[in-house]
Amino acid sequence: MNPILTGPLAVAGISTILALLISILDKLLNNYGQLDVTINGKKTLNVRGGSPLLGTLAAEGIFVPSACGGRGSCGACKCKVLTDVGPHLPTETPYMSPDEISRNVRLACQVKVRKNLEIELPEELFSVKKFSSRVESIRDLTYDIKEVLLALEGQEIEFQAGQYVQLVVPPYGEVAESVQRAYSMSSRPSDKKHVELLIRLVPGGIATTWVHKYLSQGQQVEVVGAFGEFHIHDTPAAMICVAGGSGMAPFKSMLYHMNETGAFPEKEIWYFFGARSLRDMFYLDEMRELSARWPRFHFVAALSEPKPEDNWTGETGLITDVLDRYLQSKVDAGKGLEGYLCGSPGMINACINVMKKNGMGEDKIYFDKFA
Amino acid sequence: MKLKPADKNAFEKMAPGAITGPGFLGNDIRPPEEIIAEDEQEFARFGLDFGAVADALEALRASGERGLGEPITVGALLVQTGDARGMLPCPWGDGLHHKNAVSVRLKELAEVACVEGEDMLVFSDLSIHLLREHHFCQGRGSPFRLEPELLAKLVGGRLN
Repeated sequence: MNPILTGPLAVAGISTILALLISILDKLLNNYGQLDVTINGKKTLNVRGGSPLLGTLAAEGIFVPSACGGRGSCGACKCKVLTDVGPHLPTETPYMSPDEISRNVRLACQVKVRKNLEIELPEELFSVKKFSSRVESIRDLTYDIKEVLLALEGQEIEFQAGQYVQLVVPPYGEVAESVQRAYSMSSRPSDKKHVELLIRLVPGGIATTWVHKYLSQGQQVEVVGAFGEFHIHDTPAAMICVAGGSGMAPFKSMLYHMNETGAFPEKEIWYFFGARSLRDMFYLDEMRELSARWPRFHFVAALSEPKPEDNWTGETGLITDVLDRYLQSKVDAGKGLEGYLCGSPGMINACINVMKKNGMGEDKIYFDKFA
Repeated sequence: MKLKPADKNAFEKMAPGAITGPGFLGNDIRPPEEIIAEDEQEFARFGLDFGAVADALEALRASGERGLGEPITVGALLVQTGDARGMLPCPWGDGLHHKNAVSVRLKELAEVACVEGEDMLVFSDLSIHLLREHHFCQGRGSPFRLEPELLAKLVGGRLN
């Protein structure tokens, strides 16, 4: 044989044998067989061992929230593991408080099922389902926010106004793996056959780029839900709602739900919605029409940098400044006040400061933070 | 050139799906060490200093946060900050950074659909760290690529 070929062929042969050997050893050594995962001491799943807990549970129809697809970069998939599975990994500790570490709260994506496990999960996760749907409509609300209406196929969704779903983004373009991202539902709970989402394009964002540049009417989409603790509290206290951009979503759901059902009849509702200029504003006519026919609903739209051609006669300034002015002079605090916020951590923190400054208790401020 | 093990390990983590879905290299076919070396030359050509540019990007992020998620005018620029859930580790393993995205464009381009890396800078806390500590601007085609020429154009006037 030609000696020039002998060397490369020998290397290729040895590499193939080694790869086969590794593959066989992996199958032998990492074969954990069938194992039991017991949840809340009540429900036991018999699962194939060896995979991360997050995916193992999902395969059994139990969906723990996760925004990063199991890469350990969102910190969302927390669950309590009662069985000793070793110390917390360096990939887990950044997301854990000392209290959570002491209670053995773990990231389900980082814990592998290598023995029988006992875990604790919030009961409400048992009602979370995966839904198949088709895009019924997709339209531009602004240049960077789309309204996506999904028609569920063969299933109905039960949720509270304010909750969110995880949108399953399939591989596309350069993105080789499916990911999930959380979006608040803007649809009404009474419409169990649809899920409506408001999605703002985030530069460089995997999910928002897919929605804005790839998703089209008629396309098949999966969502998982419903999740979340953000909901209307049953008290007579007035609701002070603040949002900007796609933070509109949970409030649209709450407002139309309350208006439709007459729920929480004692509550006055103030809704402060901020945008930079008129081109960033949306649902203005819908919200004004709703406030015109619903006396206890007060809609305050504000532009932070209106343009002359906007001919804006409404409130101006950052939404926190407008909120401050109204809390001092226009909002009746007679029955108490509750804060409802949806937006970036910076926006939420700024609103909390304004609300606290105006005497609102921090324990009465509820929020859906995009972080 | 023989790579240090730490660099080799970091470069492997820049591939799609390791730390982030799209990875850090975009459609750039150059190896990461070449990207870094060529961007260092570009920084020198434009008279930019990595630390000073990182400081300026941090200041822009802080200014953008005043917009509470909406775009806000900062001098001649329009800055918008967005946040996502979770944190991202540096590929070199020297820190975890909050997931966010700050976009910066010229104010007069507010009405135009800008392209990341061409007429709009997009960066995160991790991008600032990669620039400051590792002189890594990311590969061409990555939405978070900090193109030296665009940095010079948008941030050059803000350097101390």
